[in-house]
Amino acid sequence: MRILIADDEVVSRRLLEKTLQNAGYQVLAVQNGSAAVEELCKPDGPRLALLDWEMPELDGPAVCREVRKKSEPGYVYMILLTSKGLKTDVVAGLESGADDYLTKPFDAEELKARMRTGQRILHLEGRLVEAREHMRFQATHDALTSLLNRGVIMELLGREISRSRRERVPTAIMLCDVDHFKEINDSHGHLVGDEVLREVARRLLASVRSYDYIGRYGGEEFLVILNNCDALSAPGRAEEMRKAVSDVPVQTAAGLFTVTTSTGVHQTENWGFRSVETLLHEVDGALYAAKAAGRNCIRFAEPNMAAAGENSPVKHPAETLS
Amino acid sequence: MSTTTSSSILNITDLMQRVDDDRELLAELFFIFKTVFPAHLERLSDAIARNESRQVETESHALKGMLLNLSAPRAAAAAGALERMGRDRQSDGMEQAFAELRAEIEALVSQINEYAINPLP
Repeated sequence: MRILIADDEVVSRRLLEKTLQNAGYQVLAVQNGSAAVEELCKPDGPRLALLDWEMPELDGPAVCREVRKKSEPGYVYMILLTSKGLKTDVVAGLESGADDYLTKPFDAEELKARMRTGQRILHLEGRLVEAREHMRFQATHDALTSLLNRGVIMELLGREISRSRRERVPTAIMLCDVDHFKEINDSHGHLVGDEVLREVARRLLASVRSYDYIGRYGGEEFLVILNNCDALSAPGRAEEMRKAVSDVPVQTAAGLFTVTTSTGVHQTENWGFRSVETLLHEVDGALYAAKAAGRNCIRFAEPNMAAAGENSPVKHPAETLS
Repeated sequence: MSTTTSSSILNITDLMQRVDDDRELLAELFFIFKTVFPAHLERLSDAIARNESRQVETESHALKGMLLNLSAPRAAAAAGALERMGRDRQSDGMEQAFAELRAEIEALVSQINEYAINPLP
């Protein structure tokens, strides 16, 4: 564990440094408060600090106040070292943001015990942050596929549609549906169906860029938002994703399955100012058209397609790919 | 009238406990002290001569901290007295308090030397 010592008095600084090194700490010793703030506010700075109360430039309580203002994540546990014995001084020190204080001259065993207390608090904080991150992931991701869940991908869709209009950047949305998924479930059971969904999700995720979004929209449906994807590149991107799923059979406990997807695609140039719901309805219509065209293919949505439904699937150059 | 004993000048038992019986560290701390204290005393003397109370307080405080860490109670008490005088802007008696502090530190250095711990190179 790394620890910062800030003390302008050289005997005290060396004594603390050696005592803590002997106790197994990695020690960073500085001579004044400003240097202490600089180190403690670094993203990878020490999380445990022992600060002399009286120092040039910035005293111990001022260091605590500065560190508490920082925006870097990760709590810094700070102990003030003081020869001040008055209760009012102690209160002032703790009010500045210090977690504890130690009276000079320190006792080595007491010093080490208080450091261990600090480590326990930091360990506890680490576990809380970990638990919070786990809960955040669970709240935003689909439990089976680990893709974004429906609520989050829908929220992102609304945001990206607005951004696309505001910044006039091309965006494409895709709705992919696993073909004949019900048959897999009915013939081989839900566990095998789950294996297929997990693998399809993994392949789809691997075929998008880090700034695209992909989420589980429904049972075997996936919604993909391709940022900065114009009308020229959208067919190729959709085809890459289709092939990513279909080219290699999926290994499951029940054996190998060739899995295909049908995909509806909608592009910015056709969006106009229609609502998210209307756009989704239209891309769903394109997906339906792909199913009607024999599956394992891609169809492109156009305005009013949903109204036309499967009766008038839109022809697009990409159709030649499927 | 207080009695001067070796432990009131330098409480070696207390100090050895603080350094966790590390004689090498003890020697290093003595060496550091003997290196830095003359400059502190000089700055303190200058501050007293110029009647700079804040500086008297700061220098005395630094010396007191050092002396407490070295388990030198009498010298630390003398530095503490000067620190209080500086904080209270009480210039009367500062020269005398300084002389007492210097004498206590000289006694401490003699005591340190008596332990025949060689300074680090």
